[in-house]
Amino acid sequence: MAAVTVNSRSVMTDSAVVSERSGRVLAPRGSGRSVETWKRDIVRQLKNRDLSQHVMFQDLIRFYTQLLEKTSLAKGILSCSVRHPSSTSSSSISSMLHQNNQLKKTTGELAYQVVELQRQIKIKECVLEEQHARLVEEECRFTGVFDGCQELQEQVKQVQEENRALKREYDTLLERQRGAETRLREEKVREGHLLEDMIHLKQQAAARMNSRNERKSRAREANLQKQLQTAARSKVTIDSPSSAPTSRSTSPKKENQDQDSTEPRHTRLFRSASATSPRILSSIKELFDRKRRGLSVCSLEEDLMCPVRICLSARVPARALQVLDAHEQGINAVRFSSSSDLVATGGTDRVIKLWEVRAGSLTHRGTLDGSTEGITCIEFDPTGLRILAASYDKSALLWRLDDSVPKLTLTGHSRKVTAARFSSSLHQVVTGSADRTIRLWDLHRAACVQVVEVVSYCSDLVCSENCIISGHYDCKIRVWDTRVVSCVQELPAQGKVTSLDLSSDHRQLLSCCRDDCLQLVDLRRWSNDRMCFRAEGFKCGSDSTKAVISPDGCFLAAGSADGTVYIWNVSTGNLETRLPDKHSSSISAVSWSLSGEYVVSVDKSRRAVLWSDI
Amino acid sequence: MADDKDVLRDVWFGRIPTCFTLNQDEVTEREAEPYYLLLPRVSYLTLVTDKVKKHFLKVMKAEDVEEMWFEYEGTPLKWHYPIGVLFDLHASNTVLPWSITVHFKSFPDSDLLHCPSNSVIEAHFMSSIKEADALKHKSQVVNDMQKKDHKQLWMGLQNDKFDQFWAMNRKLMEYPTEEGGFRYIPFRIYQTMSDRPFIQKQFRPVSPEGNVHTLGSLLKEMYPAAIPSDGEQKRYQVMIHGIEPLLETPLQWLSEHLSHPDNFLHICIIPTPTD
Repeated sequence: MAAVTVNSRSVMTDSAVVSERSGRVLAPRGSGRSVETWKRDIVRQLKNRDLSQHVMFQDLIRFYTQLLEKTSLAKGILSCSVRHPSSTSSSSISSMLHQNNQLKKTTGELAYQVVELQRQIKIKECVLEEQHARLVEEECRFTGVFDGCQELQEQVKQVQEENRALKREYDTLLERQRGAETRLREEKVREGHLLEDMIHLKQQAAARMNSRNERKSRAREANLQKQLQTAARSKVTIDSPSSAPTSRSTSPKKENQDQDSTEPRHTRLFRSASATSPRILSSIKELFDRKRRGLSVCSLEEDLMCPVRICLSARVPARALQVLDAHEQGINAVRFSSSSDLVATGGTDRVIKLWEVRAGSLTHRGTLDGSTEGITCIEFDPTGLRILAASYDKSALLWRLDDSVPKLTLTGHSRKVTAARFSSSLHQVVTGSADRTIRLWDLHRAACVQVVEVVSYCSDLVCSENCIISGHYDCKIRVWDTRVVSCVQELPAQGKVTSLDLSSDHRQLLSCCRDDCLQLVDLRRWSNDRMCFRAEGFKCGSDSTKAVISPDGCFLAAGSADGTVYIWNVSTGNLETRLPDKHSSSISAVSWSLSGEYVVSVDKSRRAVLWSDI
Repeated sequence: MADDKDVLRDVWFGRIPTCFTLNQDEVTEREAEPYYLLLPRVSYLTLVTDKVKKHFLKVMKAEDVEEMWFEYEGTPLKWHYPIGVLFDLHASNTVLPWSITVHFKSFPDSDLLHCPSNSVIEAHFMSSIKEADALKHKSQVVNDMQKKDHKQLWMGLQNDKFDQFWAMNRKLMEYPTEEGGFRYIPFRIYQTMSDRPFIQKQFRPVSPEGNVHTLGSLLKEMYPAAIPSDGEQKRYQVMIHGIEPLLETPLQWLSEHLSHPDNFLHICIIPTPTD
């Protein structure tokens, strides 16, 4: 590097400086000089100083520094490259060879490793491919499943749509049903109104009929008296002429009518009414015969409607005339026809058998079938031409006696029918059922015209004028007015009521209960005036054991669980007789012939026994 | 006063081209190249020679390195004098660049202070400022400054930031106008001939009569030999920052503008070279 000799003094040698310097020396003395001279001098000197010391060197030094750095860099590289060969050359060749061998060995190892690794790579690739294939497969399956899923979803949608449609339809149907129900209710109300109107009209008609009948009977009576008087005057009689009229006047009008209506069966009645004088009766009968021929004003139907037969005296049976196994299974019901020469028995074997009572024995006359289950109750109609039965098959059946096929089947009950009776108007039938309803049926239309809901199981019922009396398992006997169809009275009983029977004059009601007690109620006085009949050994055998009142109303008959028939005397209230040993099982029903001669009892073991006093 | 500001800048940015060479006695692995540097006049040697140290350490063994120190023509250079003072005092009339020898061994404990880190320089610098302010304002200004203000002064010097330094240093240069200057002018007069390191006395900028003291009046008081008598050949040079200000220059102005960052006016009196 070139040394630059710049000297502050060389600057000072400048002529200007010299003059300044001389000036400076003079300054303290000189007064006219500028105050700023010293400052300008300083500034100038500083500039000169920087020029000589700073500016001239700054580039030079910078370049030198750069050069130095580059040199050192180059030297570093050079030293690196140079140092190597020098070191190797100095070291021994054997170590080099050794190193070479080692390197070769390591190379071999590395090559082996490379091969190994390549093999592994291949294996991995295989695995990868396999997995890839599996992946593709899974994807295929997935797409398949996805499609299936979508299909199912669509199905779900469809089904939902269908469901919605069905719901809509259902709603509309529901709406329609509601409409129909309201219409039905209206119809029912109207029906009720109509029925009331009809009942009203009927009552009026009945009242008119009654008054007409009364007028007729009065006229007839007057006529009769007139005839009697003429007869008394014309004929010579043993008895005093006043006896007949007195008897007429004392006897109630009803009896008159009864005698009138029972006239066709006069001979039988006559035979049973052995207590009365036959002469008087025969004379009366003659009179009646005549009168009837001459005065048949009433319509035949009206006469047929009320053929009330009367028994003047029933005879207490004493011995069994015949014992026979009447059915193939247990017998539930037995009933004499109103003509007393026919007995019907109904059993669990689903048939009704008709037996002719002739000369103290039962002769099988026919079988009525048609029921699909056992028979529970039998009743003949007052004309004796039809037979009504209640059945376990939830129906009631009606036969004509000359036809074994049922003429009518009344269905509608939801459980077994326990009782079926002809009502006071012959074209109507009343049934009671275990389904806790009582139904009224019109035989002309073969349809149910009335349903009465009861709170309890109805075990039996009987019909009287304008009323139905039903016995129930809730220990109640209910009286229903058929005109307004409502319960007008409830009579208490001591147990489950198993059967009811009405005396032939419709005044007394017999009920049989599970407390082994027969109860007789006077229907004219609903008060507590009732009689109870018990007996040692008498035991009510079942929930449908049937007890009866004798046709003359003097005796009661019922069968016990031990197979003995018990007969009570109504007037004394005591047991009249026991008829043991003929039955071997519980007696289910007893029937007393209207003639008062015979009693038939049936039991659960197919046996029927005909009893009589002879 | 644009000139005053320029003067301040010129003083601050004054540089001395220097060539550092490693001492021949130092054990090196290879030949050490000389290192050239422009040294700031107002700074301290150990503060600006990191690069030099780094350069020479490359060729040195670590175990041979002790504390670095500098020497010029047999004279150890005191790092606690500003670089400009060292140059003016020892080498002002020599050929540039200033050639300094670098040593890593045989530290001359009798001549030099140890300088283990920059914090020592900072402590020295700050103590100088405080001393100067004690002379100028009875330490009022420097004591009113906060710690960060002190730090700003030091960092300005360390990082060669003129504006940063003078933003704070301006306060130290203020004085009440009615007094016409500082209480005392902080100055040090160096000379090579004496054993005394420097002359430092209390000297007011204004005479009791109200006349302004000049550089000449200071020298007359402190070092009369420096002022040439009439007709006599000038024997001494009075150097401040490498220049020779006129003797009529007011001392107060000099103190404000030609002081070193340590707030002292360092004046070097050297014999006029005889050719």
